[in-house]
Amino acid sequence: MQRFFDQPLTWGNAGIFALGAVAVLAVVIVFVTYAIYFERKVIGWMQFRKGPNRTGPLGLLQTVADVAKLLLKEDTIPAKADRGLFILAPALAFIPSFAVLAFIPYSRHLQFADLNVGFLYYVALSGVTTIAIVIGGWASNNKYALLGGMRSAAQMISYEVPLVISVVGCVMLAGSLNLRDIVEAQSGYFWHWNFLPQIVGFAVFVVAAISELNRTPFDLPEAESELVAGYHVEYSGFRFAFFMLSEYIYVYAIACLTTILFLGGWHAPIPQLDFIPGLVWFALKFAFIVFSLFWIRATFPRLRVDQLMGLAWKVLLPLSILNIFITAACIELFGMGG
Amino acid sequence: MIRTEELLLNVGPQHPSTHGVFRIIVRLDGEIITEAIPVMGYLHRGTEKLAENLNYTQIIPYTDRMDYVSAMTNNYVLCHAVETMMGVEIPERAEFLRLIVMELQRIASHLVWWGTYLLDIGALSPFLFAFSDRERILQLFNELCGARLTYNYMRVGGVKWDAPEGWIDRVKTFVKDMKLRLDEYHNLVSGNEIFLSRLKGIGQYDAETAIAYGLSGANLRSTGVAWDLRKAEPYSLYSRFEFDVVTGKNGDCYDRYLCRMGEIEQSLRILEQALEQFPEKGETMGKVPRVIRPPAGEVYVRIESPRGEIGCHIVSKGKAEPYRLKFRRPSFVNLQILPKLLVGESMTNLVTILGAIDIVLGEVDC
Amino acid sequence: MKGMIKGLGVTLKTLGTKKVTHAYPDVPIQMPDRFRGIQYVDRDKCIVCNQCARICPTDCITLTGKPNPDPEKKGKVLDTFDINFEICILCDLCTEVCPTEAIVMTNNFELAAYSRDDLFKDLDWLGANTKNIRQDNNNIGAPQRGGGKAE
Repeated sequence: MQRFFDQPLTWGNAGIFALGAVAVLAVVIVFVTYAIYFERKVIGWMQFRKGPNRTGPLGLLQTVADVAKLLLKEDTIPAKADRGLFILAPALAFIPSFAVLAFIPYSRHLQFADLNVGFLYYVALSGVTTIAIVIGGWASNNKYALLGGMRSAAQMISYEVPLVISVVGCVMLAGSLNLRDIVEAQSGYFWHWNFLPQIVGFAVFVVAAISELNRTPFDLPEAESELVAGYHVEYSGFRFAFFMLSEYIYVYAIACLTTILFLGGWHAPIPQLDFIPGLVWFALKFAFIVFSLFWIRATFPRLRVDQLMGLAWKVLLPLSILNIFITAACIELFGMGG
Repeated sequence: MIRTEELLLNVGPQHPSTHGVFRIIVRLDGEIITEAIPVMGYLHRGTEKLAENLNYTQIIPYTDRMDYVSAMTNNYVLCHAVETMMGVEIPERAEFLRLIVMELQRIASHLVWWGTYLLDIGALSPFLFAFSDRERILQLFNELCGARLTYNYMRVGGVKWDAPEGWIDRVKTFVKDMKLRLDEYHNLVSGNEIFLSRLKGIGQYDAETAIAYGLSGANLRSTGVAWDLRKAEPYSLYSRFEFDVVTGKNGDCYDRYLCRMGEIEQSLRILEQALEQFPEKGETMGKVPRVIRPPAGEVYVRIESPRGEIGCHIVSKGKAEPYRLKFRRPSFVNLQILPKLLVGESMTNLVTILGAIDIVLGEVDC
Repeated sequence: MKGMIKGLGVTLKTLGTKKVTHAYPDVPIQMPDRFRGIQYVDRDKCIVCNQCARICPTDCITLTGKPNPDPEKKGKVLDTFDINFEICILCDLCTEVCPTEAIVMTNNFELAAYSRDDLFKDLDWLGANTKNIRQDNNNIGAPQRGGGKAE
């Protein structure tokens, strides 16, 4: 991809960029469709039941049917709601989630934008989604939505801090914020991947990531049994679909990031298996992470809001800061990484 | 200066966690509840008034629908009241069938409670696990009396149907399987740290408060008071079987959880013994006149339903219909403590506390 | 942590077990014989004693009889027999008191209709409802003399 950026911008090159963007868009939409399908299937299997299996062969068209239903629904806007903000919120939630996909490297040669500040770009954009959620909760003119929006704002801001700090350890080991360099620093056997040397950072990152995604056990903003869908209770039809879509695209982005930062990206577990292309390894690790997210959702209950805040500030943050010090000490004293 | 206001929020009547059509008007200061006013009556169907025009056999289907999750115990309380008034003797096999069915119903009711409580707390899977086991119990009941939820099984003087071919063996298999499943349930939920931190120390009250409010069932036993009507005032054949009364220590939601899980275990124990001692032959109906006309007078009987103490008060004037029929419903009385427990708690704990009291709206509103 | 790991183990184990989903309505459900479904009425057996209408807790049965058209035989014959299914609670008391087993339950429970008129079952429909009739009826017969609910 890089060589295209170095050439002058002709119509041909612009066309290739556009096609590439559409290709990633298509891949992500297919991922979201089948991630929702597999989530329902896997959670169903873990509960003694089959998931969807009637629409289409084996139920494969279930998400398509759901999206079609959402498109056909009436677009209701509550009478006293703030119209402009109400319409803005889903779009504002959804646009950063797509923008975030630009910088993810899938293999040695497949990447759109090779940014030198890779990870910071993700953090900056995911903050915009938090604003969108608060706007959605406020503009709905509904007390439940407001409560949900407030909880969500508090949760997402609190968990961004440990999320970022836990990654600093990997950055120090690789010596650069560029995602490609971080992956290259993990080449070798699977014990060179960052999840073992940086195990504290990995644990903190996983917990903070699940919370950023608003998934169980941190799904208070959408707590169905208390707040009846929280901040998106007044949204129906395609606006609701936007919120759901942005959530699943963040799942995609976080799973990719976890693979890149901690699980060695496109490297094989042992160098002898290098003949299998890097993209396949990336996909396997990515699938494993997504499965774990579903598995955790099927098993755990939800945390209460004060316990959630306590966890972020009193446990995750000190742990991640401790991780930085230990990593720094190891680099200085034992000369690990570079 | 920022001006703050209290928020008045309406929880229900349509709400996924109020276990039926139940409304709580809460005043919130941020996320803390300062006042909670329960409003009930959305499911009132006038059972007690309708009963003034029906004879006792016709009232039995109505009792099924009061506490619809545990219909057998409701059937029993009415039949027991009339039998006490008339002095009818029940044959042994009928009494055994009644006891087996009531204990199976206790397990089914506690499974519903477990599944829905955990769903409120946020875990998705236990609900499905509980209902797949409950399905087996409902299938057993279906084979026995033809219905899955509203059984209309007991009659004054005995039971309507005898156990079909092979039913007792199927119950024995179920009891064996349920014991293993109970261990799996404990593995899945009871040790989970998130779950423990959600439940421990929430909604705590002591034994004196519990007795003053008239609580019964697991709500009372979780404070340490070992009061179980099956042991304190034995009815049916409970005096023949060995079982423990499960009590808690602190009176918080976690102890109520453990009490109910313990009750499932004790019910399985009673069932094992009852199936062992089940008589080979016997009548299913005692000697009752064709028209059931209790002598003039009144009676109050009470039994231990899965939710607590259910009582039936009948005033009879010698006719085939009761003059006044009143049910003392456990969920209605247990709900009294809700406003007191909710003050000072957060919204999330409202759902936790309400679920631990274990109410069924059919019973609250009658 | 240990409790959480055990929980994860339980769900992972369940991933591989046999599923309990029943593929209804593609595969019909077989109800046990005693299941209380919609009734079947045999016009010839009925002696118009009215016990079923009297015992019904919700008063959903109305029936009329006419004198037997055959001059040799005494007694009444069934003319009309209606069950209002909007209020029938399938409690089985009517079959319990019928002295001739003219009304029995079947195992049919798929009764959904698009209009309320379809829920008012008359004698023709009830007489034609002959599939899945319940075998085990445990009919304890009608009250012998008088008594019962005063009309």
